[in-house]
Amino acid sequence: MINRHSSIVSHTSRAPQAVKKSSLSFRAKRGICFPHSTLTRISFLAVLVVLAFGSFWAAQVAAQSDRAKQIGTHLKCMCRGCDMSISTCAHPGGAFSGPCDTAKAMLKEVDEHLAKGESEQQIIDGFVAEYGSVVYMEPPKKGFGLVAWLMPVLYSVVGLALLVLVVRKMRERQIAAAPPAPSVHTEALERARAQAARETED
Amino acid sequence: MDVFGSFSLLLAFVCAVYAFVGGIAAIKTRHPLLVKSTRQAGIATCVLIFLATISLEYLFFTDNFSIAYVVSHSNRDLSTFYKVAALWAGQEGSLLFWSTLLSVYVLSVLIAYRNKNGELMPYVGVILAGVQIFFLTLNNFVENPFKTLATVNASGVLEPFTRMDGNGLNPLLQYPEMVIHPPNLYSGYTGFTIPFAFALAALLARYPGEKWIHLTRKWTMVAWCFQSLGILLGAHWAYAVLGWGGYWGWDPVENASLLPWLSGTAFLHSVMMQEKRGMMKVWNVWLVFSTFLLCILGTFLTRSGVVSSVHAFANSQIGSWFVGFIILTILVCFIAYFKNRDYLKSENMLDSLVSRESSFLFNNLLFLVACIAVLSGTLFPVFSEWFTSSRISVGAPFFNKVMIPIGLAILFLTGVGPLLAWRKTSMESLKRNFGWPQIVGILSGVAAFVLGYRDGASTLCLFLCGFVTWTIVMEFYRGAKVIAARTGMSMMMSAHELAMRNTRRYGGYVVHFGMVLVFIGLAGAAFNTDVQKAMNIGDSMKLGPYTLVLQSADTKVEKNYTAQRMIVEVLKGNRQIMLLYPEKRQFQGTEQGAGTMVAIYSTLREDLYVVYAGMDPDANVPVIHAFLNPLVKWIWLGGVWVVMGTLLALMPNRRAALVVAVAAEPVVTPGAPALSPTTTLREGHD
Repeated sequence: MINRHSSIVSHTSRAPQAVKKSSLSFRAKRGICFPHSTLTRISFLAVLVVLAFGSFWAAQVAAQSDRAKQIGTHLKCMCRGCDMSISTCAHPGGAFSGPCDTAKAMLKEVDEHLAKGESEQQIIDGFVAEYGSVVYMEPPKKGFGLVAWLMPVLYSVVGLALLVLVVRKMRERQIAAAPPAPSVHTEALERARAQAARETED
Repeated sequence: MDVFGSFSLLLAFVCAVYAFVGGIAAIKTRHPLLVKSTRQAGIATCVLIFLATISLEYLFFTDNFSIAYVVSHSNRDLSTFYKVAALWAGQEGSLLFWSTLLSVYVLSVLIAYRNKNGELMPYVGVILAGVQIFFLTLNNFVENPFKTLATVNASGVLEPFTRMDGNGLNPLLQYPEMVIHPPNLYSGYTGFTIPFAFALAALLARYPGEKWIHLTRKWTMVAWCFQSLGILLGAHWAYAVLGWGGYWGWDPVENASLLPWLSGTAFLHSVMMQEKRGMMKVWNVWLVFSTFLLCILGTFLTRSGVVSSVHAFANSQIGSWFVGFIILTILVCFIAYFKNRDYLKSENMLDSLVSRESSFLFNNLLFLVACIAVLSGTLFPVFSEWFTSSRISVGAPFFNKVMIPIGLAILFLTGVGPLLAWRKTSMESLKRNFGWPQIVGILSGVAAFVLGYRDGASTLCLFLCGFVTWTIVMEFYRGAKVIAARTGMSMMMSAHELAMRNTRRYGGYVVHFGMVLVFIGLAGAAFNTDVQKAMNIGDSMKLGPYTLVLQSADTKVEKNYTAQRMIVEVLKGNRQIMLLYPEKRQFQGTEQGAGTMVAIYSTLREDLYVVYAGMDPDANVPVIHAFLNPLVKWIWLGGVWVVMGTLLALMPNRRAALVVAVAAEPVVTPGAPALSPTTTLREGHD
């Protein structure tokens, strides 16, 4: 049953499979136990194929969508009433819940810039020059705005480093075997534990 | 009645102070009568807060327009249903409501454990009283909801006066969800106070680190469930009322509600490390401290208006109070930790990087990175104003770019985690466990592709959804097979038996499945399309497979509002599917303007979301804005599963032979040392 399914999948990934084969068996020889059954290998490659096509199609879709509106999702409506982008400005609670005149005018401006053949970055730069940094809904990737972009990266890197460090430290058996003398005696800890157990029967 | 309410609040404050000071004295002297009286003071505080809330509601029901808060948030024509909700429509009432919900928890804890945990409870009582004192200070002295209207008369003396009618409730809040969303969210915010109080109490009372976790497990799950439900209901409210076609805008107030949810979810997972393996005790204490602080911070961001937002609820001076309380709490936590941290020693160490334990570590890493990223992104505009002269906007595009990769990584881990065994996992078992889920994942990815969901992140998300679903199915299947073989029951019955024997584990899987459904819904957002058109009667427009024809318009006069209603016929091909009635409501007596009633034709495949935007200012014809939002319904369905899973996890385990429960765990590598007897016992208990 497993083989039947894997053969369906292997249709799409026959060619890269042959290329990857040698490197995988090389790893296996070195003793790192990489999954090397045909089934796992094929599905692994298929994932890569799906991912590759996925990003390709993403690019396609983006190219076909309404450019002005797409750029508009990055520009804040400057009507000072909706706090939304010019593409989504809906004035909740207002008498007219559609793009307001400001949003419409700004979208039209984007269209005019596009007609002149300007790139997305040029258009956004133009708007920032006109309205200030507040108009761009993303922090700029330069100056102080760069800090906003680097923060999540920094958290991930530092967090991962800490995690690896902690795991390393835990794996050092010596430390596990002979923990540094704690200021609380094992006896006291045991007593506290027994007391807690007595007091919290449930 | 306002005097009664005001007095109740003041008395509640006095009782809370007594519970706090007397509690400290009781801990020092261990006098049994003092212990008892402080506990009763704690109970009295809660009851008095309830009385104050009831009297404020009474003032709403009796249309007492001499009270400033009632005037601002109600009027005579407001239906009784929304008069209940008017309690939390403004600053003062919301803070009172916070105190009330906290009191529900405090009262339950004080009564449930009145004869138990003798040494621990005085500490818990003191901490809870401390939190209550803070909120009662706000209720009494900063934002008192019982203030009466007064005017200066001719002779220069202040005299009370009564208005004929109130200003009415904000139209945006006149929607059924607004009656249930805030209580849920606030129950989440306040609920995390209980695990916080137990953790801090255990530390102060020098209890070994595992006890408080054991005691607060269910309280944490309840708080988490309310928080999840509150967030989803809020998203649904935004979707159905704001009329911009979306449910999540990365608005500061939305982010504020997400922060404690993220750290609380991390906590729910890392707690298992401590229970099963006696590890990460220090980490868990700090996680629960942070979750509580984020709850306070969330309330602060929502209520203080420090970060401007669509919600823009409030702008007041309570900010400094919150900052002071947060700093004080952090100080107390630090002092307690550094004094007694030796009681949080780990019993075990990590054996392997490829194990269930390390998958929990990665889980915590991802949730915390997500949490801090959202936090710093939300506060960044404020920082940018401090450090540079201009304000930098951090909006939805930023959060989407940062959070989508993190979200997908978490989803991936949801699938991988259960496949790894405790301590150490062999590559053999990995291979055995990964094969099928990967195939199902690929099939769902391909299916998504064929059906037209072609976008990098979304297709990947749908692939992962298939992968995770299959790991969950396999977990149930493997366990049920063992039981079926032993008892001869059918597979369905065995699966049920399995879930009932280890409710928390299998309830957890049900919650995971709910989250998979939510992710399927989120993946749809990449394919939203919309059209907006000024339409005369009889005009039509096309959107996706649908044709919308504006048939007619009418006006509906209700007690509290007048609605302009568009009647839109929906055709698919040439077949009429249904009529939709998007509305624009103009409320009487309100200054805030109009309310939108979105009409939604919802299927599993997509939502047809139709808004009557209003009359075109130039042409004076109705403007219809229609959105086609794929897969949105899955988000709400996922929410239902999340709640069901949590309820399952809260049920007590059905007793069964220990062997079966252990056999259901993924196989440990042969040759690895057997689990110690204590671990096995905990396993069975769980």
